[in-house]
Amino acid sequence: MSEPAVAVTGVTKTFPVPFKRQSVIAVRDLNLQVEAGQVYGLLGPNGSGKSTTLKIILGLVSPTRGTAEIFGRESKEVASREAVGFLPESPYFYKYLTGAETLRFYGKLCGLRGPKLVTRVDELLELVGLTNARDRRLGGYSKGMLQRIGLAQALVHEPRLVVLDEPTAGVDPVGSREIRDLILDLKRRGITVLLSSHLLDQVQEVCDRVGILADGILVRDGPVDELLAVENRTEVVFENGSDELGQQLETLIRAAGGQLIERRKSRKTLERLFLDATRK
Amino acid sequence: MAAITANTLTELTRLKVFYVLLLFALVLIGSSIFMARLTFQQEFQVLKDISLGAMSIFTSLLAIVATARMLPQDIEDRTVYTILAKPVPRFEYLVGKLGGVLLLLTITTLIMTALFLAVLSFREQAALAETTRQMAGLPQEQLTEALRAVRAATFNADLIPGISVLFLKACLLASLTLFISTFATTNIFTVVVTVFIYFIGHLQGTAREFWLQEHGGSWISRTFLAVVALLFPDLQLFNLADEVVTGAAIPLEIFLKTAALGCFYTLIYLLLATAVFNAREL
Repeated sequence: MSEPAVAVTGVTKTFPVPFKRQSVIAVRDLNLQVEAGQVYGLLGPNGSGKSTTLKIILGLVSPTRGTAEIFGRESKEVASREAVGFLPESPYFYKYLTGAETLRFYGKLCGLRGPKLVTRVDELLELVGLTNARDRRLGGYSKGMLQRIGLAQALVHEPRLVVLDEPTAGVDPVGSREIRDLILDLKRRGITVLLSSHLLDQVQEVCDRVGILADGILVRDGPVDELLAVENRTEVVFENGSDELGQQLETLIRAAGGQLIERRKSRKTLERLFLDATRK
Repeated sequence: MAAITANTLTELTRLKVFYVLLLFALVLIGSSIFMARLTFQQEFQVLKDISLGAMSIFTSLLAIVATARMLPQDIEDRTVYTILAKPVPRFEYLVGKLGGVLLLLTITTLIMTALFLAVLSFREQAALAETTRQMAGLPQEQLTEALRAVRAATFNADLIPGISVLFLKACLLASLTLFISTFATTNIFTVVVTVFIYFIGHLQGTAREFWLQEHGGSWISRTFLAVVALLFPDLQLFNLADEVVTGAAIPLEIFLKTAALGCFYTLIYLLLATAVFNAREL
């Protein structure tokens, strides 16, 4: 079996409360594993410990107990970050840099130089659809554009793991869809994605596996399909069938001892309606 | 590290901090207009005094203000996460940031020095022409002697070491500000604390002498004063302007000691900043 992309073992993190002899437990005895190539969604209400968990995985925060590893290397080792790209929640990059300069800066931090860096910057701008805005300063970018340049900087050194903290927070539905498409594209290319989000529909759409944190405890963890399946129910969706066919199915279900819970016209999502209506 | 240094310099440049140079130029021009009424010896003394004073204030201010905002801003904007999530050690991040400020201080000091020397040279030419005109009928030896006196009053060899020491003081202040910003949460706190230390640093020499005169030199007071001196650099030592203005030579030993002290404190504060920043939860 291949090495997990992320392995969090027995991690507890407490933060002392200033001027008091108390501490707040942000994460409690957390065990979490993300397999290579998976898209893993970390869910939870505000203050549930999602961001702290991501920061521990990235080595930005030290766990009080336990260990976190990225592809077998401890997160506190600087070298473990060679395999990771990170996009924090609502980041503000250097406003005085242009899109291309921003990517060049992050590329240099990862040791890229010369023609390789130039090519990589062009590729990434193309990938996130910002080629036309490459020479515009980030101060003039929209929220969605900032998230896309953020995603591009996370990918600059071709990491095997990408960590995204609320990647679609504050982005309009079109921008949000673009970011989800990019995540699916990363998955197709075999890159592991670990993301946290409040937007449950989006997580359901892109993630293979989810974990739900509540008060710092991982209360659910498993493949999306398994966690969401209602064991004793089955959905049938058909197209171009008559009302009569529907009646026949209903009769068959009853005859077999089953119960028809709901029969309705299929609907598109509000998001799909919005995207169709605003597409230029 | 070089990428962070270059980026910090770009940031400071695009924040238009070089406007401080414009102010410096205005001070220089303004003071030379005012000094047209003085004798040339007085004029050059005052010009050097004002220029070195302005250089000291501007480079110190620039060092404190430019450094104070860097770290808290990066943390507040979460930009620091994107940098430290790359394979960049925290020490390199800090050195890169400080490097950018030191580069800015180097460029600023060089431009200020060039401006200062240009104005000094311009005034020297005017003084030489004026002296030649006034002594037109006098013997050649007297004229040569008078011109030599003008030249001696203008440039002296200690101008550059004097300016170098001011530059080192600014480097020390930048490093101190960086250290304070590693545990501060706002720019204002960093600036206030650094300015407070700046004043302690300038006053502690006088206070120490006064204390020793009044209270004698018991081992407790000596230890206390030694600790204060270790924590807060004696910034008055970096004030060699008086020697430069009067044309007195700065002894090589004093210059080397002061320069070594500046480098030592810059390094110590950088190491302290690294220790605090390494332990900081982001």
